[in-house]
Amino acid sequence: MISARGLTRRFGSQTILDGLDLEVGPGERVALLGRNGAGKTTFFRCALGLLPFSGDLEVAGVDVRTDGLEARSAIGYVPQRPPHFDGTLEDLVRFFSGLREIPSARVRLGMSELGLSLDEHGRKAVRELSGGMLQKVLLALAVAEAVPVLLLDEPTANLDGEARAEFLRALKRVPDSCTVILSSHRLEDVRAAADRVLVLENGRLAFDGELDALLERSGSSPTVWICTDRTALANLVRLVEDDRRVIRVHRNGVSVGIETLPGNIADILTDVRGEGIPVDDLRVEEPGLGGLFPSSGAAAESSSGAASGEATR
Amino acid sequence: MTTGNRIRLFLLREVEHSLRTRWFLTNAAVFMAGGVLLVVAGSSGTLLAGHRGYARALAGLAHFAILFVPIMALLPASASLAEERENGTLEYLLAQPVTWGQVFIGKWLGVSVAVVLALSLGYLASASVSVFRGVPSSLVLAIYAFLVLLSLVFVSLGTVFSALSDTRSRATAFGIGCWLVLVVLGSLGVLAAFIRWGAPAELLAAWSFFNPVEAFRIGVMTVLDPDLQLLGPVGTGLVRRHGPTAIALGSAFSLCLWILLPILGGRWAVSRRRDGV
Repeated sequence: MISARGLTRRFGSQTILDGLDLEVGPGERVALLGRNGAGKTTFFRCALGLLPFSGDLEVAGVDVRTDGLEARSAIGYVPQRPPHFDGTLEDLVRFFSGLREIPSARVRLGMSELGLSLDEHGRKAVRELSGGMLQKVLLALAVAEAVPVLLLDEPTANLDGEARAEFLRALKRVPDSCTVILSSHRLEDVRAAADRVLVLENGRLAFDGELDALLERSGSSPTVWICTDRTALANLVRLVEDDRRVIRVHRNGVSVGIETLPGNIADILTDVRGEGIPVDDLRVEEPGLGGLFPSSGAAAESSSGAASGEATR
Repeated sequence: MTTGNRIRLFLLREVEHSLRTRWFLTNAAVFMAGGVLLVVAGSSGTLLAGHRGYARALAGLAHFAILFVPIMALLPASASLAEERENGTLEYLLAQPVTWGQVFIGKWLGVSVAVVLALSLGYLASASVSVFRGVPSSLVLAIYAFLVLLSLVFVSLGTVFSALSDTRSRATAFGIGCWLVLVVLGSLGVLAAFIRWGAPAELLAAWSFFNPVEAFRIGVMTVLDPDLQLLGPVGTGLVRRHGPTAIALGSAFSLCLWILLPILGGRWAVSRRRDGV
């Protein structure tokens, strides 16, 4: 569905995409990761035919270089920042559905499937709508035409937790036939929306595989936070500190954070319960994606470690 | 969807946007008030009766237009694309099945329609007063045509500045700079300098047609009355040499070129922006 061969894009002396090769098939859900400046947005802009490039790039069988307009017809796009639009939500829907020649009724239906009523919000000025609501409108517009490809450029970057969760739920309703490429800096987005992860580094593909394989390779692991009572706290700490499967142990009051590989979590919890340690609360904290890209994520990693009172084994 | 339909959507969006903003009515009101004041005051105070008196009054209106119409057109045109780029909307627009050319032309047409509407509303009052007081309607219409051409020149220039600028403020600064160069320096300063250092008449004439503001002034004054001594030495010389019809048409042609060339140049330049947006 999307095929890049030797895709290269330079800005002056700086090479952003350096002979990138990648293939994404029909219906695949792919996360495009990489530190800032790795070339994710440039790749999207090339795919949309907005930037000239060298190499070959096809979207839905269309050569982007020779027919950018046709390529854009095949792509639904949701940007990081929703566009400022002067007018009401109805005006926005009418204008963009007009550009894509989609009947407004279909967008209206798509919006209602995502939990948004155009009847209720249509007369509101776009600037009065929340970022989450607007991103869902853009998603509804993007998929209303049954496009074969959906490009999502950090769509949840500016949303709060609740809006992000709503957007990700909405994303699950995108038809299976649609190829989705999502760029994000949030692991929960990637886990919720993608089956395959591509990592860009210096304009080239540095990783292609599943998320857990990437986390394992990079040494980034989730942390399971167990909240127990004070009497059992010492037992819990001793148990997990002696466990070879545990990478690090964090302490925060009566909570103990156990950093381990995803595949070990269930076994460790079974052992904890087997020792008769009461589990009052349980929470799994995903590692930040920033840690996978050393130049952008090191600071964030070290600051979170300091805050939690880390006890590294 | 055809190119025409896409352009129409951008045109309508731009017109709707313009009608919602305050500048549209403000500009129409200022041009209306200024125009009526100049026509009424000019025709009442003149010693020349009949056609010549009103021709002088309309000449006052034309000079007011030289100062006001460029700003009236440059400000919304400068904002048109740069504002969309600044707030991230342009990338989303260009990610739709449209071309840069369609967005550019649609925006230009939309601002043009809005500016010409405001100008027409403003001119309607002074035109009515003029016709009511006996000025031939053909004369009033001819001046209207020159006013429309002048406004479109500055819409074109403003749209180009907007297309090439990253921010609205930078595009507006270019627009105001352009107004200063063409209206203040070009119209008065350069001609004064030419005359002071005794430039040849051909060079002065060429400059007059090269500067759209001068082309407008010469065109309007020629249409009003070539013998009115408002043309200045360059215009008078040109009219004597080539006749009033040729000079009026030449002025209109110069203005048309000033409308078209920036659009073509701007369209070419935006396609070469290194960020594609």
